[in-house]
Amino acid sequence: MNDLELFPYPKHRLQATDLDLAASLKGLVEKQIMDKRLELKEDYEQLLKPSLGKLMVEIGLQRMFWPEKLGGEEHNEPGAAYTVVAALEQVGRADIGLAFQAAHSLALQAALALEANYMEQQCAAISPLFCEGTQPLIVSFILPAFAEEEGVPEWRGKGLQVKARRSGDTWELNGAKVRPTCSGADADLFGVWCAVEGENEPAFILVPGDVPGLTRGEEFLKTGLAASRNADLGFASVKVPASACAWRGDEGLYRLLSWYYLGLAAAASGALLATYEIIKEWGDNRVIKGRGQIFKENPLTGALMGEIAKDIAVVRLLAYNLAEILAEPGAYGDAGSLAVFTSALIIVHQAYVAAENTIHHTMELMASAGYAKEWQLERYWRDVKTVQCYLGAYELAKHDFARWFYGTKTL
Amino acid sequence: MRTIDDFSLPLEYTTPLLEPLGNIVRDWAEREVIPFRREYDEDWKDHRLILPAMDKLLGVYGLQRFLWPEDLGGWGMGKSNYFYVAVYRLVEEMARADSGMCVAIGVVLWPIVYITVEPHVNRRLCEEFAPMFCQTDRAVFSCMAMTEPQGGSDIENVELLKGSTIQTTAVKDGDEWVINGHKLWPTNTGGVADLMAVICTTNPGSDDPGDIAVIFVPADRPGVTQGEAYEKAGMAADKNGDIWFENVRVPLWYRAHGPGDDAKYYGEIVASGNMGTIAMAAGVMLNIYEKLGEYTSSRIYRGKPLKENDAVAGALSDLAATIEAVRMIGYQAARMLDRPELYGDRWSPEVVAKIRAHRYFAVDRCLEVADTAMNLMEACGADRELDVEKHWRDLKMLQLWLGGKQLCQMEVARWFYACETL
Ligand SMILES: Cc1cc2nc3c(=O)[nH]c(=O)nc-3n(C[C@H](O)[C@H](O)[C@H](O)COP(=O)(O)OP(=O)(O)OC[C@H]3O[C@@H](n4cnc5c(N)ncnc54)[C@H](O)[C@@H]3O)c2cc1C
Repeated sequence: MNDLELFPYPKHRLQATDLDLAASLKGLVEKQIMDKRLELKEDYEQLLKPSLGKLMVEIGLQRMFWPEKLGGEEHNEPGAAYTVVAALEQVGRADIGLAFQAAHSLALQAALALEANYMEQQCAAISPLFCEGTQPLIVSFILPAFAEEEGVPEWRGKGLQVKARRSGDTWELNGAKVRPTCSGADADLFGVWCAVEGENEPAFILVPGDVPGLTRGEEFLKTGLAASRNADLGFASVKVPASACAWRGDEGLYRLLSWYYLGLAAAASGALLATYEIIKEWGDNRVIKGRGQIFKENPLTGALMGEIAKDIAVVRLLAYNLAEILAEPGAYGDAGSLAVFTSALIIVHQAYVAAENTIHHTMELMASAGYAKEWQLERYWRDVKTVQCYLGAYELAKHDFARWFYGTKTL
Repeated sequence: MRTIDDFSLPLEYTTPLLEPLGNIVRDWAEREVIPFRREYDEDWKDHRLILPAMDKLLGVYGLQRFLWPEDLGGWGMGKSNYFYVAVYRLVEEMARADSGMCVAIGVVLWPIVYITVEPHVNRRLCEEFAPMFCQTDRAVFSCMAMTEPQGGSDIENVELLKGSTIQTTAVKDGDEWVINGHKLWPTNTGGVADLMAVICTTNPGSDDPGDIAVIFVPADRPGVTQGEAYEKAGMAADKNGDIWFENVRVPLWYRAHGPGDDAKYYGEIVASGNMGTIAMAAGVMLNIYEKLGEYTSSRIYRGKPLKENDAVAGALSDLAATIEAVRMIGYQAARMLDRPELYGDRWSPEVVAKIRAHRYFAVDRCLEVADTAMNLMEACGADRELDVEKHWRDLKMLQLWLGGKQLCQMEVARWFYACETL
């Protein structure tokens, strides 16, 4: 049995095509990424960008949800949630940053093209970018963040980074020092959750990366996620047609985020499966206590290895659990409901808290080898932490949980 | 907001020397390190930015003379009974700026402890090596070469394994030692080291501590080869690589003390390394406190500064409380080393175990709150520009070296519960 199969997941829920996709992705990322790691490290141009092309265009992750008539695969039923996990787990095992980018694309596709909420006009306008190109289409979101000044319109306590004004057939967008969720330096399409002048309800507006007035700062250095070259943005009277507004109101954003968190949870699971492979090799071969005691046979380190495996198993199950929640709207509610959104938020935070702790422990067991680039572990540690930061403050997410479970009103 | 100077100090056992020493280092950190540290990660191999700052503190300001006897050009701190408390203060200040640089500078002094600190002064070796440190204004680097490819923890686990796993050998040949072996990871290697203290065995496989030898080896001796530095998650200012010893010859009297004593005083090396690690953790946390304070004061959440949110304030409080406690633990550890008449020999299993307990407890707490600190800053937490992520990466190493957390746990359990087989 393949070692990764030791960690249970609801295989019976996956279609044969999902299993095939996971198998071919596994082979691809091993050859394309994992085998080249020592030589190419985190090189964007030579390793990560070509790999993204392979995943998004050759394998076709960026065509997955769009209807066939628009050039897509039309895998847009709720059950596609399982496909997302099966696929992004494999990508995350090789590189969380690539899975992170793919999660953006898949979430946007789901939000626009899921069969139950199909947005005909937006799909027709946007899908050619995904289906016709030979290059990966990099998607990024602009979500609320802590504001640097008072008086900024808020959504769930945080400042909306971009303001939009509707005049006639156009939206005009303005915002300075705007922080996108990923790939600010490279993204081709931004999904912007905007404050709308004079109205309470924000709007989700799709902004092509090459639109006049959109400026990109220098790529900045950050802890991890080398595949996402991020930079802050400026929106100076950026104009897009009225049809660029994909939706108004929370439901659409909840749906987008629920699917986004699904992809991120899958990426965490993949990273942890990679961690398992690394610590397994260490535990099988390292000898401690000078008397030929194999590492995994030491009661203390063996226990910590057990804890690591337990947390990996739980994160994998959680990711697939979220897939089930999204795949069964009849049982759990629509992805755009607050109930499902809260479950997705809980699962993704729990996945990253567990992933962070698990890799911390793994590094403890590997000491300097865990800390050295050569052993590959530390990259997952940095990447997981970076995703966790981009998810938002866990301390404040707890208020989202409390609001839902206790009806708390003022948090 | 308060400043880092508002955290408590154990005033009844600080010394007047600490204030000026601390200020010199703080001033150096503000001018020479903090403005440049965001570029250190890219400088890990060349040390073009890093080395000048070390030259300044070690060479020009003369910190590398700290331990050597005064008549040999040093500052004579090896005979002070405030030595470790002073080291605590220096280390905390340095680590606030950059804990990688701090360990590199700290380890310049660390192996020298073996031969300069009362009561185990080796005058002949002081005379031999003091000039290389005291007669220059360029940084001179020492390293403490313990770890070997098969494992560092076992070598440090002297009480249980008694040196039986050391594979670097020292064989007497006339009036010389001939050293063969392979070390890896020591701080200040990767081509940096000028003087090495090498943990060897004079009788491979023996579990007689008398066969553990600590031998000083100038790095330019024929047969010493330093490999390239390894690339790491953080701590770019510390270079760590392989050292190969191939029939390296040094005089017999380059051995620190002799059979039994080399192993005995090794306990002090472990205890002082752990004490220094606590000081580093506190220094790192002090800067995280400053950075997080600025961030949470300037960002708005629900119409108020972030720090005014009760949940965020709870996390900020955990950070401040951790610093308060860690600093007290660290100073207490330093005090235990400075006052053997009260606490027992610095190399005794008791002191070693207790300071290991202090270290792993303190570092674990710091790691927890640093995890939260970075996350409270959301996406900005991962920005190099805001410095917290750098400290987060560096801090982890404080848990991993010196045998890692699990060895600490075993030594603590062994001493407190009289375990015999751990
Ligand atoms: C920045 C940096 C600076 C360093 N500085 C120095 C230096 O100055 N000098 C030097 O010699 N080395 C140095 N090292 C190496 C470091 O001290 C060692 O990596 C560390 O001691 C652990 O040894 P190891 O890596 O060989 O791991 P191992 O000894 O193989 O240990 C791995 C893990 O096994 C477990 N373990 C080990 N023994 C036991 C036990 N008895 N019971 C239960 N669990 C156990 C622990 O979880 C441990 O973390 C440095 C490394 C780095 C990265």
